[in-house]
Amino acid sequence: MLLVAARAGVAQVEPLPPDKAFRFTARLLDADTVEARFMIADGYYLYRDRIHFAVEPAAAGLAVPRLPAGTVKEDQFFGRVETYRGDVIVRLALKDPKPGQSIVIAAESQGCADIGICYPATVQRVPLELPEAGKPPAAPSQAPKRAWFN
Amino acid sequence: MTGRLRRFAVGAGVGALALALGVAVAMWNAKAPDASALLALSLPDTQGTAQPLRQWRGKVLVINFWATWCEPCREEMPEFIRVQRELGPQGVQFVGIAVDSADKVGRFATQLGLNYPALVAGYDAIDLSKPLGNPLLALPFTVIVGRDGQVALTHVGPINPAQLRSTIAKLI
Repeated sequence: MLLVAARAGVAQVEPLPPDKAFRFTARLLDADTVEARFMIADGYYLYRDRIHFAVEPAAAGLAVPRLPAGTVKEDQFFGRVETYRGDVIVRLALKDPKPGQSIVIAAESQGCADIGICYPATVQRVPLELPEAGKPPAAPSQAPKRAWFN
Repeated sequence: MTGRLRRFAVGAGVGALALALGVAVAMWNAKAPDASALLALSLPDTQGTAQPLRQWRGKVLVINFWATWCEPCREEMPEFIRVQRELGPQGVQFVGIAVDSADKVGRFATQLGLNYPALVAGYDAIDLSKPLGNPLLALPFTVIVGRDGQVALTHVGPINPAQLRSTIAKLI
């Protein structure tokens, strides 16, 4: 009984690891457009100006994406700060994609939890297979193509 | 080796193993984290001057990992300033380790009227907080070290002012 009470006394909400709090996914919309998405868990938020994307290999080229407007907050130190909650969807345009190429979308983000903690910048990576010439992109639910055997 | 001797040797081996296991379990239960790697650090202040943490050896040390972009970190710092002012003469020393750039830390320290050192570190420094009870490398993270160099408390997230003061009071 005492033990239960003692345990209840120290119980606190366990924060999610950043890749669960700010889960990142990416899928191809067409041969040169990627839809990137952060699914932000309830009680967590991301800073808009701390989101950065990159493509690997860099030769595939990534146009500077247009991020959606966030919720504006006046910060006494930083001035105007925008944050995101819920889902954030960003379209990424590849500048020089090669048909059939394997690429990785890397997304850096930084955010905090309402319970009063912030996370260091986190990079999450999603591999994608660009479609062969003349073919539509594979649906994300499909099994991976036989890229390893080509 | 006779059968009896062999039995004794096996028994002694098992006993030693059990003892080692018992010690390991006791250490695990005690969960007294070792801050020696953290206390051996030397980090630049906002002017770029190296500040070894060992210069505060013998004081009650409150080491706070923070960043200017971390709002919950900033919100608890006025309380740290108050406690430093009140209890500094009794040998309490706050040290902020900012995972941030020196210019931002300097500007913020001036704006807030910070009365304790603000050291500047990269993510490698916050890695040292991992074995001290901060597996997610979250900010703010506070470590309270007694005059003997032993960790008295580690805390992820904003620390309750009453808990901060009562922990310090026991160490003064």
